[in-house]
Amino acid sequence: MEGSRLNRLRTWKLLLPLAVGVVAISAVSATSLAARSARSATPIKIAIMTDCKGAFGGATEVDIGGAQAAFAQFAGGKPVNPKKPSAGMTGITISGRPVKIVGYGCGNDTVPLAISETKRLMEQLGADIMVGPLSGDEAVTVAHYAQSHPKKTFVIGTAGSQDPTLQIAPKNLFRYHGDGAQWNAGIGEIAYKKLHWRKAAIIMDDYSFGWTSAAGMIADFCGVGGKIVKRVFPPLNTTDYSSYVQQLPPPSKVDGYFWVVGGTGTGASLKAYEQAFGKVSPKKFIGNLFFAFLGNFQEVAPRLIGAYVGGFGTGPGLNTKQAKGYEAIVAKWYPGLNGGNYADGFVYNYYNAAWALIRGLKAVHGDISGGQAKLQAHMPRTNRSGYQVSNNGLVKLDSNRQAIQDQYPLQITKGPGGKPGLAITGWVPNVDQSFGGFFTKNSPPPGRSQPPCVKHKFPWTGKIHAVKNGVITKQIIK
Amino acid sequence: MAAVPSPAATAEPTLRLRGVGRRFGGLYAVRDMSLSIAPGERRAILGPNGAGKTTLFNVISGDLLATSGSVELFGSDVTFMPARRRARLGLARTYQQSRLFLGLSVEDNIYLSIVGVKGGRLRPVGLPKRDGEIRERARNAARRAAIDHKLKEKVGSLSHGEHRQVGLALALAAEPRALMLDEPASGLSRGERNLLTDLLLGLDREITLLLIEHDMDVALRVAERVTMMHEGRVIVEGTPAEIRADQTVHDLYLGSGHRE
Amino acid sequence: MRSLGTFQSRKQATERTAAGTMLVLLAIWPLVFSSNSYWVGYILTQTFAVGIAAASLIFLSAYGGMVSLAQVALYGICGLVLGNLVTSGQAKGLHLGWSPWLAVAAAVGITTAIALLFGAIASRSAGIYFLMITLTFGVIANTFFGSVTTFGGFSGIAGIDTYTPGLVGNHVTQPARLYYIAFTVAIIVYLLIRYIVRTPFGIALQGVRDEPVRMRSLGYNVPLHRTLAFGLAGFMASLAGVLYAWSIGVVAPGTLDLASTVDLLVIAVIGGLARIEGAWLGAFVFFAIQTYVRNVSVPVLGGSFNTIIGFIFLAIVIISPNGLMGLWDMITRYAFGDRGGGSSEPFRELRRIVSDAWFRLKGGAPTRTQSRSETL
Repeated sequence: MEGSRLNRLRTWKLLLPLAVGVVAISAVSATSLAARSARSATPIKIAIMTDCKGAFGGATEVDIGGAQAAFAQFAGGKPVNPKKPSAGMTGITISGRPVKIVGYGCGNDTVPLAISETKRLMEQLGADIMVGPLSGDEAVTVAHYAQSHPKKTFVIGTAGSQDPTLQIAPKNLFRYHGDGAQWNAGIGEIAYKKLHWRKAAIIMDDYSFGWTSAAGMIADFCGVGGKIVKRVFPPLNTTDYSSYVQQLPPPSKVDGYFWVVGGTGTGASLKAYEQAFGKVSPKKFIGNLFFAFLGNFQEVAPRLIGAYVGGFGTGPGLNTKQAKGYEAIVAKWYPGLNGGNYADGFVYNYYNAAWALIRGLKAVHGDISGGQAKLQAHMPRTNRSGYQVSNNGLVKLDSNRQAIQDQYPLQITKGPGGKPGLAITGWVPNVDQSFGGFFTKNSPPPGRSQPPCVKHKFPWTGKIHAVKNGVITKQIIK
Repeated sequence: MAAVPSPAATAEPTLRLRGVGRRFGGLYAVRDMSLSIAPGERRAILGPNGAGKTTLFNVISGDLLATSGSVELFGSDVTFMPARRRARLGLARTYQQSRLFLGLSVEDNIYLSIVGVKGGRLRPVGLPKRDGEIRERARNAARRAAIDHKLKEKVGSLSHGEHRQVGLALALAAEPRALMLDEPASGLSRGERNLLTDLLLGLDREITLLLIEHDMDVALRVAERVTMMHEGRVIVEGTPAEIRADQTVHDLYLGSGHRE
Repeated sequence: MRSLGTFQSRKQATERTAAGTMLVLLAIWPLVFSSNSYWVGYILTQTFAVGIAAASLIFLSAYGGMVSLAQVALYGICGLVLGNLVTSGQAKGLHLGWSPWLAVAAAVGITTAIALLFGAIASRSAGIYFLMITLTFGVIANTFFGSVTTFGGFSGIAGIDTYTPGLVGNHVTQPARLYYIAFTVAIIVYLLIRYIVRTPFGIALQGVRDEPVRMRSLGYNVPLHRTLAFGLAGFMASLAGVLYAWSIGVVAPGTLDLASTVDLLVIAVIGGLARIEGAWLGAFVFFAIQTYVRNVSVPVLGGSFNTIIGFIFLAIVIISPNGLMGLWDMITRYAFGDRGGGSSEPFRELRRIVSDAWFRLKGGAPTRTQSRSETL
């Protein structure tokens, strides 16, 4: 008898704290949920999704800085720490309504983390609107998420895949910059006309951004009559590229190579080329933006002075009032962001995304009720982005809410002190995502063998202006 | 114990080895070994450490395959038959190290032994009636090995002597036609050894018994014939009395090895 | 011996009460709290789903003595096969547009078949070699789906959550449905494991774990047994894969990469490799930490989810090699005063735990805990 009583006592000794714990946790989560729903009537909650791991992990602060510079300039935000954008921002209001940046998403350019971070931002932190994400596959993931969450609004930060706006194209997803193919518009024609390439090979990362970026080069180069004789596709994040480089034709058999290998792979793949075929010749290489951005500038560019590079939708050194104005705004709020290089898509595209969002919110006076339908209808269809020149300096959205944007093929130059610099070679006005109808919703999406190499006249073919010292000239590149 | 003449010497032997050898690299653990054991015979294998006794057991049970020669069991050639199939023919064995299932109860250990030969090894459903019968048999085997008072305990918590008893129960539960025991008395107390000897003497006469044992008292009391091995070969074969009298055996083994 | 018995029965009673409370709480959770919350839609649903995969790992390890690193690959394969079969139109991969239930059945079947094949290959290895072979399976699966664009390629297959059967419905608008389905499947998998380990197959599997050599000489086909156990675990992992695909909507090679493989192992180790319940406990702790403990800064090392989870992992491995479930066993022993082998004196148990941990750190043998945990 006594023993069993003792037993019961002992059981309670353990169960009581357990029960108290469960009740306490339930109570806390219940009140916090209740509190959350009560408060949600007031501030507009915005999440910024970027990468803090993986190939683009270094871009976190740059992205957040770009977006928050717009919130500071146009919505009264105050950076908590101008040296560290991720420290946060206070005091943002739009039409008298407070705006809160509820969280920063931390992706690693892969799909699983993109979706779990998106869910965390939108569902756990309860964000109403997302600015982001950063990379191609993440944007595809977010586009699918947006499709199934029509009552939230998404403005892509800086991602170059084609699918989010061309194929999936949910009504609540906006992109105020070009995709990877658009960024490379004009570079094929420059290879054909200025370097006299006729036959070229291409090596591209085997995933959506690699394919899309390569698609722009292939379409443009083949469009004016060039031939792609070989396509090689190493998996993303390969470390030893020797076997892939071996598949390329030797330099004696082709006029040049289009190089679409990103992240740490850019340097590694060029090294493999040097081991296989000898010195890298700048006149035989054209890279996509990875030759010039994302930390490769120090490693890759010195070997490639004189080489042409596809753009990033930005105009480094573009000498217009509008461009200088944009750079001054970022410099004002986050001086020295990205080493003072504001003409980087990671800053510029996030800045424009946030700015357009602020304009949309202002247009509806901060009213995001009714499943944000009003906001989505009033998101700006044009935006005075810094490096835009055509259309009186306005970037326009197409019917899929995708930007039609000027592009700037670049060239690696010898800067002061022998260090590499970057200069604009040409101005390609009004590049749209479909390349004037070449890419459509029903055409096969960019892939290993897509698009095919065919001659095609694009809206800008034969209309690329030469740019000298940051000034767009009347002269057409021939 | 008086030597009983081997029953039915003309009958098919339970086990016949012809020129069996087992080589590990350059080392012959067993070489050119021929042996014939009649049904119901009790045979002890003696020899100093490293004589190849356990390797011989492994070759017979199928844990190792012979590198030369042939093994016949119950009249059929099993030289290349896997161990599990030999077990299903009716051959059971114990090991020098206990090799029991330490995470399972005594009853489950014996249960596995019965299921192993009776079939239903892969059955993923419980059949209360059938399992009840098997467990009843398991309890009987435990009783014979005098370990039935610890049926529900995990084998891992039992003593060394009890491990030996469980090992024996496993071998008995399978109702084998031939039983091979590898040093069943090692590590047992004197009292336990006597129990073991009585158990072995009381074993069904139908069962052929093959025994490796260092303890001469146990080995020579139980066995009818003795095979003496040295360096992988048979040195002497005979009745316990002959073995006791043999000078080679004394020189090799009894002189130094027989401690008690 | 007598007190050991009462200790066990007291512990069992407590566990039954705790488990009952837990189950009731989980069963009413979506009704009590807003069903549209992150908890129902993500944390708990993911806990159930990924917990099933972890349970398949723990099943193999606790009852088969096989630590498999292929379970993530298997649930990823299932998700990708499902995605290929069920989606249609512009989706990546094969987009065959099969009916949802048929696609699920086929995906589970194909994955189980692949698991049987993996198992057959790995079944003759044990210990670290088994671990390495299963890791290799994971890497092969990851590379295969990453480079074969026919099946979706690097970007994987998205939008699987829009091709669910009517029973599951739209995960976004009705998260409680998938919650209850995942909850039910998790309970079924748990009960299945508890049942199977008491059948001849399950007892024999434990025999294979303890003494494969003896099992062979008792008449068992050891590699076949291992293969079938691996296939069964693959079947469970494939159920996790289906639930994962329905709740997350997108499955990519990244779902089955090395980091995810390690994550599942971490979940299993945190929960405890010796008891099935640990799978869901570990998964819950993992997702809760991933969500709530993010910006805690550790001196010198800085702060991130990986750092935090790494420290927890380390602490658990040192203090309680059998994870949180092992810790629970220790606590109950203290609370109920296991007189069968120890003492109910306050702090004595704690002191023993600390000193054992110290020995383990120094590489010595904490003999007392180990021999005792074996006897219990």
